[in-house]
Amino acid sequence: MKQRTLWSVALVVGLTLTAGCGSAAGPGSSSGGSADKLVVWDWKSGDPKAAGYVEKAKADFAKKHPGVKVEFVAQPFDQYYTLLGAAIQAGKGPDVVLFNGGGQIRDRADALAPLDSYVADDKQRLAGWDAFTKDGKVFAEPVTLQGHPIYYNKDLYQKAGLSPDVPAKTWDDFVKNCGVVSQKTGAKCFAQGNKEGYGIQFFLSAMGSAVLTPQEYDDWIAGKRNWFSPDVKRIFELWKQTGDAGLNSDGANSTAMFNDAFGLFNSGKAANVIGLMSDVGHWKDFAEFLTPEKVGVMQAPVVNPAAKPSLAYDGGIGYAVAKWTKDPKVAADLVRSLTSTDALKAFYLDGGAIASDTTIDTSASGPAVKTIVSQVKSGKPALHVALSSKTLDLMGRLSQQLLSGSATVDDVVQQLAASDKTG
Amino acid sequence: MAPAVLIIVGLRLWPLVLGVNFSFTGDGDRNGVLVGLDNYLTLFSDPLFLTALRNVGLLVLLLPVAVAIPGLLATFIYLRVPGHRLYRGVYFFPAVLSPVIVGAIFNLLLAFDGPLNALLGGMGIGPVDWLGDPDVAIFAVVGVHVWGTFGMALVVFLAGFATLDSSLLDAAKVDGASLPQTIWHVIVPSLSRTIQFVFVTTMIGMLTSMFGLIYVMTGGGPEGSTYLPEFYVWIQQGRMNQPALASAASTALFLIMLVVGLAQIGILRRAGKED
Repeated sequence: MKQRTLWSVALVVGLTLTAGCGSAAGPGSSSGGSADKLVVWDWKSGDPKAAGYVEKAKADFAKKHPGVKVEFVAQPFDQYYTLLGAAIQAGKGPDVVLFNGGGQIRDRADALAPLDSYVADDKQRLAGWDAFTKDGKVFAEPVTLQGHPIYYNKDLYQKAGLSPDVPAKTWDDFVKNCGVVSQKTGAKCFAQGNKEGYGIQFFLSAMGSAVLTPQEYDDWIAGKRNWFSPDVKRIFELWKQTGDAGLNSDGANSTAMFNDAFGLFNSGKAANVIGLMSDVGHWKDFAEFLTPEKVGVMQAPVVNPAAKPSLAYDGGIGYAVAKWTKDPKVAADLVRSLTSTDALKAFYLDGGAIASDTTIDTSASGPAVKTIVSQVKSGKPALHVALSSKTLDLMGRLSQQLLSGSATVDDVVQQLAASDKTG
Repeated sequence: MAPAVLIIVGLRLWPLVLGVNFSFTGDGDRNGVLVGLDNYLTLFSDPLFLTALRNVGLLVLLLPVAVAIPGLLATFIYLRVPGHRLYRGVYFFPAVLSPVIVGAIFNLLLAFDGPLNALLGGMGIGPVDWLGDPDVAIFAVVGVHVWGTFGMALVVFLAGFATLDSSLLDAAKVDGASLPQTIWHVIVPSLSRTIQFVFVTTMIGMLTSMFGLIYVMTGGGPEGSTYLPEFYVWIQQGRMNQPALASAASTALFLIMLVVGLAQIGILRRAGKED
């Protein structure tokens, strides 16, 4: 008994003495790769569709630095940021790191080296830099563009007697068309998956430019967000309407966006879906099921006459350089190889991504890609990408409450405004 | 003695101390800065963490059900209902499946347009959004967890029955006791130690191994209604990049487990003395 008390005392003393003198990041030294070897972490290189891309990038880098070996470590995406978090805390890990644009990279910018001095030559050729920029500094080079076009099934529109090549210009017409399609074909208006809270993110970004005025939109992206403005509230009212008016596919809160909701669209059970531009749930996936000619992309139907609808997109994924790497110049050269035109062209062709390189010719891939690429020039950053991961998580839960009717739009914008303020 | 102590201190206590230590530092801009009890204040004002704690309470309340199900089924097998050999195998089968597989199977079965709702629709009952309704989802997940794990408890019960004095059952039969009377007055008192053991292990299972099911079936949703503390820890660390807050939540979870564990040791010790 006496010994046990002694142990407890020792434990308590240990706790008290060391309380607060550690840090979550630990001493930032040491590197994963040595001077003649670079380690790359991503969740892409294991995918057979990305094999050509990785090969081209490696070849390009080998020309510049023949003596430096490159090792790609493909991590499972589910665990990616958890594993990366552990590496960052330990202050050692990969030299070059793949990131999603927006919150995921901005939250971890402390662990990355700014790339501005190395990538100046690529600025014109590539699009989507904003998503990898924090406080005016670039932390990664964009590989793909990611955004949220509204896809529609031309076949269903045709069967309903509507013109498949002239989609609705206003929200009211869009809803009216949906009513006709549902009545004639039994298909729902939106294939909706909000189990993980992604549905609202896609909706906010796809519809935002049709509701907010250009000024409000730019202010939002610049961080001056007025959650209580009638137009912002209007977006959440529209979201609620998609649930209340039965526009969404059934059980939206228990349907996973990846890939159950996309499956509903592919199988013709819903006429429209807000999808992605790259990776999955995009033109190439849909075209495999519906054939390229039957997949259309429409501009967001106008809700507010003062709004100017545009495509919402950002840099999708991009490679960054870790702060602890031995020679940032060499690592940055690898990043540049990973975004060379040849490599990105392979990624676009094999992986079905809209690559960040605006010089790639995409004319052979069907009408949907053509529409998307033609909208990239006038496009703007997506609204949800500007929010912190904490606010996005909260928005996901609140959006489920809006659909189930257990929260009002006023409650929702109030809570989101509070979360957005604290970051 | 010394090596054992070193292993315990080096691999158990010291990491624990470091973890508790992290929980008093900040995240993001305040990384490494001593912030006192800030993380704990954040934690206990976060409705999501409070939901997670409430769900722990709910699990404790549902514990008797989770113990009664294998207990009753084991009783029937012991009393040799027709086909008892088959049932013994069938009941144990889910225990060998990983929670991820169990979750994936039930994701399909419980989908809004899935077979269970089709069956209910056939009987004229409206569809239930099993995994999309915040009032239903936690019960659906716990139900699946019980389905997936009760086989182990069933085996423990059957082992307990093996020690049961069959002359007591014969005596009850001679005295004309009904089945419920036999269960209540003969079987339950004779198996009290087994029942207590199953209570303890089922509680531990519920508190520590629901993560896989929640991850696969609901992702903590809908509306955050199926969060449990360990899921919260994972989200804060992995998705929100707040390792210090996650450490605070882990420390809180550790304290909860400590209290539950001590209570259980107390129960077991008392049961041991009765013999």
